[in-house]
Amino acid sequence: MNRVDLALARVTFLRRIAYRGNWIFTVVIGGAGLLASLALWESLLADGAVGGYDWYAMRGYLIIGYFSMTVTVGSGDWLIAQRILDGLVAVDLTKPVDFQRARAAEFIGGLFATLPGALFAIGAAALIAGIPAPASPLAGALTLVSIALVFPLSFGVIYLGTLACFWTRRFLGIVWARDSVLMFFSGMLVPVALFPDWLKVIAWALPFVHFTTTPASIYLGRVSELGALGLLAAEAAWAIALWWLARLIWNHAVKKVTIHGG
Amino acid sequence: MTAIAHAGGVYRRSIVAQLRAIVEYPADFWIMAASGAFWQILQFAFLSVLFSQVPVLAGWAFPEMLMLAGFLGLAAGANALLSDGAWSTGSMVIKGDMDYRITRPAPVLIQVASAHIGMQGVGEFALGTAMLVYGWIAAGVSPAFIPAAVLFVACAAAINLGLVTAACGANFWIKGTGSYIAFLLVDLQGKTMSMPLKIFPFGVKAFVTFVVPLAFVNFVPVEVLTGRASTWWIVGPPLAAVFSIGLAALVYRAGLRAYDSAGH
Repeated sequence: MNRVDLALARVTFLRRIAYRGNWIFTVVIGGAGLLASLALWESLLADGAVGGYDWYAMRGYLIIGYFSMTVTVGSGDWLIAQRILDGLVAVDLTKPVDFQRARAAEFIGGLFATLPGALFAIGAAALIAGIPAPASPLAGALTLVSIALVFPLSFGVIYLGTLACFWTRRFLGIVWARDSVLMFFSGMLVPVALFPDWLKVIAWALPFVHFTTTPASIYLGRVSELGALGLLAAEAAWAIALWWLARLIWNHAVKKVTIHGG
Repeated sequence: MTAIAHAGGVYRRSIVAQLRAIVEYPADFWIMAASGAFWQILQFAFLSVLFSQVPVLAGWAFPEMLMLAGFLGLAAGANALLSDGAWSTGSMVIKGDMDYRITRPAPVLIQVASAHIGMQGVGEFALGTAMLVYGWIAAGVSPAFIPAAVLFVACAAAINLGLVTAACGANFWIKGTGSYIAFLLVDLQGKTMSMPLKIFPFGVKAFVTFVVPLAFVNFVPVEVLTGRASTWWIVGPPLAAVFSIGLAALVYRAGLRAYDSAGH
């Protein structure tokens, strides 16, 4: 990251925490949804494992999934979308800064505002329900690599979503559609292992599965070491592919820019 | 009575103006309506996948769970269609936009609530109805309960509308463009109230029944309709609706007293 990237990241972080009361509230209370999910699955798995997941494994699965979802959904994508919707993108076009790279820097800055809430919620879940250990030290290390790859993957998904604002006047519908697809096909609502076979094929053909199922499968030892490396390669490939797909769409989308009165 | 008619007239004109604006941008309408419907379809898919593995959850079968999801979808859809502007409370407080509303000769809450229509509500309402009807028929609930169900749907809409608006009103004190308390409320409602309440700890059950009466949106109605709860519980949803609307009015009134415009 160069000086401009760092400055953009820093400003985004400061914007995100500007309203301290609101921010502290999200940090402290934002994890309530995770606790509700834990209560739900504890009840569902009280009589034994479902789809190969027992209560012990499901805790790890839900916590990893929650972390991935939080860094994506809470990434501050509204700030990017708003720049397109209110026309500020026209000013960005005059700056000697790559638009996508600048937004990526802002995404990283926003992460520092989001992470405390995610970590606080995971700490609370660990205290209340406990966190299972990784299947092996290597599985733990590979899980960290997978989670690290979730960040560029998240940026790719949210940035592509914001580019849709070149064709619409509001962002909310895009967020709804994106989050619905993400929650379902990542396996956060219900693990992909429980899907019927035809739906599993669709899920594994999409990038969303790498938000929850890939890191959780590696952590819990549901895939071999070779399988884990294969999943990491697929996750990395998706992160790169989304970055370049966004570049391609940007080249078309930017032609849609109209200025008020223009 | 005249004041109520005046407020109703203001609300109607404001909503009609919003509808005219929406017609100008058909792409937005279709994206919003489709995303609302898609969200409900995924709720259906979630329940279908879950119940392909677990035949019964805490004594509840698939059709009854569909009824829970149906009431939830209807309440969320009604809230989006009737009072989506409440979500802009935080933004209006920060930007000082409340100034305009305060100086106009119409109730502020009516003006704010009708400042926007969430067209995702169209999809939520349609698919919520479909799930409720499907679950109703599959569960074998008597048609004699239809009048009670209509009452429950109206109450569910009022409860959701009141509680979400009250939660958005917290932005008069907790400043920020995002209505995080309302987001949290909706998130918790989605996670807890789409499941039988029995699976949650006592504290959660008591909280959503007697403190923030989310249970009266869908859980209590389905319990009554399926014969799990005494018919005396039928008075619960109307009482919860009155409480929720009253709470929204009180929070907004107190919030407007605390409001000191922008720049302070």
